[in-house]
Amino acid sequence: MHLPLTLLALASSCYTALALDLRGRILWNELCPSLRDLGQSKVVLDNGKLQGGITRNGSFEIPDVSPGVYILSVVSHDYHFDKLRVDVFETESLPEVRPYIPGTPLSPPSPVTLPYPILLTARAKNDYFAPPQSFNLMGMFQSPMMLMMLVMGGMMLAMPYILKSMDPEALQDFNKRQARIGALQSSLQSGDLSGGLSALINPAQEESSASTGTAKQTSSSSGVKQRGGKNRRR
Amino acid sequence: MRLFWLCSAVIWIARTWAIHASDAGIVDWHQPLVGVPLFGASSTAPKFQRVGEAKSRSLLFTATSGNVLAALDPATGAIAWRYIFEDNEHIIGFKQHGDIVAAVSGTGGATLRLLDASNGDLLAERRLHKPEFGRLFDPETSGSTIAFDSEGDVYVLSNAHVVRRIDGKTAEVKWSWSAPDQTSLVTYSKIVITPTAIYLAGLAKSFASYTLHITALSSTTGELFATGHIPSGISDGLTSFFALQDVNNAQVSPRIVWIEGGSVRYFTLTPELKGKPMGLKGAMYKSILDIGLSDYGQFVALKEDGTALVILSVPEGFRQIWEFAESATSSKYTLSHYVGGLDIDGRSYIARIYWSHAYKKAVAHIFAGHLADGRGLVSGYTFPFETSIHGVISHVALETANPEGNTIVSRLALTTSTGAIQLWQHDKPQWLREEGLADIKVAELVELPERKVITSHVGDEEESFGDRLVRQLSDAQNFPQYAVNFARRFVTGSYASVSSSVASSANASEPLARDAFGFRKVVVAATGHGKVYGIDSANGQVLWSRVFGLGWAAEIGGKVIPVKMFVTRTVNDGDAPQVVLVTQRKASNSLTDTVLFHVNALTGEDARGLSPPGDVLQGYDIIAGPIVEAYMLRSGSQKFVLLLDEFVQVHIYPDTADNKETFRRLAPSIHIPLRTGAPGERRLTGHRISSEIELTGKPVADITWSLSFPPGEDILSVTPRPAYEPVASLGKVLGNRTTLYKYLNPNLAAVVTGASQAATPKCSLYLVDGAKGTILYHVALPTWEGTCDVKVSLTENWLVYQYFDGDASSVQSTKSHRVVSVELYEGSGIDKKTRSSDLSSFSNETTALAVYEQAFIIPRGISTMTTTSTSYGITIKDIIVANENHQIQSFPRRVLDPRRPMRKPTSEEMEEWLIQYDPVVYDDPKRVLSHNYTVIGTKHVITSPALLESTSLVFAYGHDLFFTRIAPSNTFDVLSESFNKAQLVLTIAGLALAIVITKPMVRRKRLRERWYE
Repeated sequence: MHLPLTLLALASSCYTALALDLRGRILWNELCPSLRDLGQSKVVLDNGKLQGGITRNGSFEIPDVSPGVYILSVVSHDYHFDKLRVDVFETESLPEVRPYIPGTPLSPPSPVTLPYPILLTARAKNDYFAPPQSFNLMGMFQSPMMLMMLVMGGMMLAMPYILKSMDPEALQDFNKRQARIGALQSSLQSGDLSGGLSALINPAQEESSASTGTAKQTSSSSGVKQRGGKNRRR
Repeated sequence: MRLFWLCSAVIWIARTWAIHASDAGIVDWHQPLVGVPLFGASSTAPKFQRVGEAKSRSLLFTATSGNVLAALDPATGAIAWRYIFEDNEHIIGFKQHGDIVAAVSGTGGATLRLLDASNGDLLAERRLHKPEFGRLFDPETSGSTIAFDSEGDVYVLSNAHVVRRIDGKTAEVKWSWSAPDQTSLVTYSKIVITPTAIYLAGLAKSFASYTLHITALSSTTGELFATGHIPSGISDGLTSFFALQDVNNAQVSPRIVWIEGGSVRYFTLTPELKGKPMGLKGAMYKSILDIGLSDYGQFVALKEDGTALVILSVPEGFRQIWEFAESATSSKYTLSHYVGGLDIDGRSYIARIYWSHAYKKAVAHIFAGHLADGRGLVSGYTFPFETSIHGVISHVALETANPEGNTIVSRLALTTSTGAIQLWQHDKPQWLREEGLADIKVAELVELPERKVITSHVGDEEESFGDRLVRQLSDAQNFPQYAVNFARRFVTGSYASVSSSVASSANASEPLARDAFGFRKVVVAATGHGKVYGIDSANGQVLWSRVFGLGWAAEIGGKVIPVKMFVTRTVNDGDAPQVVLVTQRKASNSLTDTVLFHVNALTGEDARGLSPPGDVLQGYDIIAGPIVEAYMLRSGSQKFVLLLDEFVQVHIYPDTADNKETFRRLAPSIHIPLRTGAPGERRLTGHRISSEIELTGKPVADITWSLSFPPGEDILSVTPRPAYEPVASLGKVLGNRTTLYKYLNPNLAAVVTGASQAATPKCSLYLVDGAKGTILYHVALPTWEGTCDVKVSLTENWLVYQYFDGDASSVQSTKSHRVVSVELYEGSGIDKKTRSSDLSSFSNETTALAVYEQAFIIPRGISTMTTTSTSYGITIKDIIVANENHQIQSFPRRVLDPRRPMRKPTSEEMEEWLIQYDPVVYDDPKRVLSHNYTVIGTKHVITSPALLESTSLVFAYGHDLFFTRIAPSNTFDVLSESFNKAQLVLTIAGLALAIVITKPMVRRKRLRERWYE
């Protein structure tokens, strides 16, 4: 653990002569059109020991960067910039710039290389505030919860009349189904998920093999299942 | 799927708490500061400069102790702009010319920056040499100079031997010249620019004094014309020589002036350096002063008796143009400040400012050499400088106007010893900036008392019926108003809101009182500039301030450095809250004393009653020597301060019999870990206070244990668990109804050790039991570039630390800032209980603990870290950090939970609200408490509970001041802002309507049912 660090330190002291000035610029975009908007900002390598200020034309220069692997980031109060991986070599060749996602391992490096001098653009402007919540009557009735409540209320009121107008056979069928749903709900509430599911699936299979209207049957039962799950979570 | 979980977690977290745009500036405030001007050297001291093409706008430029280059608007005192330099790169000097300000910073002048003078935009940045190649100078500001020529090119002298000509627009180096083989012998410090040649003036060390050395270079190519010693003997190398030229008069050749053996001598600069040093005829002189008019050929020479003469450089030599009357050193007034200033036309003025003991006022004399038909004129006046509030005048900057005839209008920018910047126009104060607040050393938030309800009835037994009737009627006259208010409040729901401002109305005569939720407190803050302030936490206004008295050191001068502050009486103890401030007074003769200041937190009055209001605050010299540590002890409502001196003797303040008795009772349970030993081999030594009284009459602490760390590890910081913090629950109930009991050892302390100087830098963090020195937790941390920089926060059973891991060698490594969250639980894990909070310190079971830890990557480096605090500790604790983006940001506890599962959480874990582990802590702008404010230089963040359990008050200081409030688990104890009464009323009304409609329907149905049953 310490050995590579010491080696690195040694290496950096040996090759100070090869230190390089890292150059780049910020490309102004609609998000961040000028230094006035950006404010005093700087480009840093790693934890900020090596750094360069962003000038009015967007350019920056980090002086005396010794060979190594660095994470380049922009320290700006209001704007978000991508982080980059910069490899500075001991030879005369130009440094390699690659995109870097924070938290990912440094190696293997990303196969994509970006041009040098480094070009950076602001990706997002920080939005610090939560939108205010306001009351709106229409909005209140447009919410799915409210719609559901209205529909349920309507159903409740209309139910006796629907039942009355149904023929006795269908009524019997409906009552049976109702009982099964009740059983499923109670089993779900008691935590017996598999029992409830099997109770739901088995008769459905039975019926699918036996009677007509299969598609309708299964679809309705799966609908019930979802609702059951939702109810439980609430 | 994983992404979905992450997103939902992030959304959920983001939803928990964020500030609304409408609350900004109402629930929080930010006070941007520039810092105390560096008036020690003329290159960094405040000066008025005109900027812009027409030189229409005047700005007050200064470099400050906060390492900020700032421009203030002289009309309003507002900050026109400020440019923040890095902590490791001190500002050495700046110079303005036209639209450009050039600033050099870093050791020996390592970096040159060109800034736009009117808005502070960075135009160019140029590294002159590596900081490690910089030569150290004392003071730091010598060895680097900036000069401009008429074309706007910049000439920079850095490291005292390299000069460069740099293009003023592109910052390209046109040429550079470095002194050959004599770098260590000649220290250049001045540049003189002429159209053909530039001259470097420096000093070479000879036996008893310095010899002047001058080098002439070509200004176009940097070619050496001539170089050589000038026969001279200068005793003080810093102040007693400077260059003079006259930009208005080209016939006056540039000269170097110095003082040698009581006479003023000068040397005229020519490219060939042919010439002889000449002496100024006349009296004997004590010193010569560069008053900032050296480009106008003027300086002030002080005679032996202190009388000041204004001397002007003329083609044939020098001419004395004025003598300030009654300027000789006297006991009737203080030593004078002499300063030069210009008006809009570039004519020079010289001001003499002093404090008159006779008038008890400050006196200003402004000399204008060009008025009164060229004979010169002095206009004098006094101005009421308040020395009991602002100390003494440390520095003066002058700007003048000459509207007509012989009238002079002057503006004086004073820097005071308390760190304030004041602007006086003639004798009228224009504005004041308390820049000392940028250097707050210690601060505390003090609760305010409730508003007093005035009762007119005073238990009068012999009150007749008529009297009582009259009194009750008069009391009742306010009833209608009250009833109306009550009704209005009930109908509209306009109760006290958590998002409203708590600042009192314009009525300032009202005594300080808290608001309904206890959001308003007094911030008592002591600065390193000898002043203590009471700041209203509602809006940041200074309620009161007191200047520290120096006691016996007042004769010789000294400095009071605040060390700790304790709130010894709160409003709950009855009466006005009081604060004890522990300070170290460093007298100029290097004696250090420990002095206590005891003040009323609401008014700033001396609680000891010795210093009258309006006078300086007199302290109590408790120890004749430095202190090692200070604590506050509590027993019920009794609170007192315990101080340990160098000989670990215990001092108690206030030293009452009652406190002594309580101390005797508490003494066996006090364990004090102290850092001892020589630097490099420091140990942590545990102390206990023995019951025996020593010969000195003071109890002494004895060593009970000693903990040495591996060689090369020096103790860098000790963070004890906060004393007397409320703990709401002793355990954490898990999803499967088992419990993890928190390890709550009251003597827990986190110790960071490391060594930067050692060959192999090390860095470690230990959790130490302060009662017996047992190491409970140890982790070795990586160092980065030889430094061990670990930020620690410890509360309850939760330790959080942050460091930078710069390792790039292994496959898994990511160069990033890490934060590690560690939770300690009792015993070996679940359902194991040792009652650690009440356990005897010497029980074996104190070492039985289970550690849960997890590391996270945080988006950026931080400068300080703390946790929120609430009155009962029920609310979740968030981490609050000051990050390198100059923001104050919070990280939720839930995100930093070390028990976050590595897979999709099970239903049991979901019940605990655990979310799947993700190494990267999401950088959520909604959690930036300081939102649009740029809060620079935060060194400390303190938190304090409000009356509402859900809310914690946050105060950040160090440079800028920032105050806000945060509700980590939402404001669960008040109706939320989004709660709308209309919806509730509508719903209830709807339901009532439904009942009204359905009631007859149901009744009819029932009736029918009965009939047809």
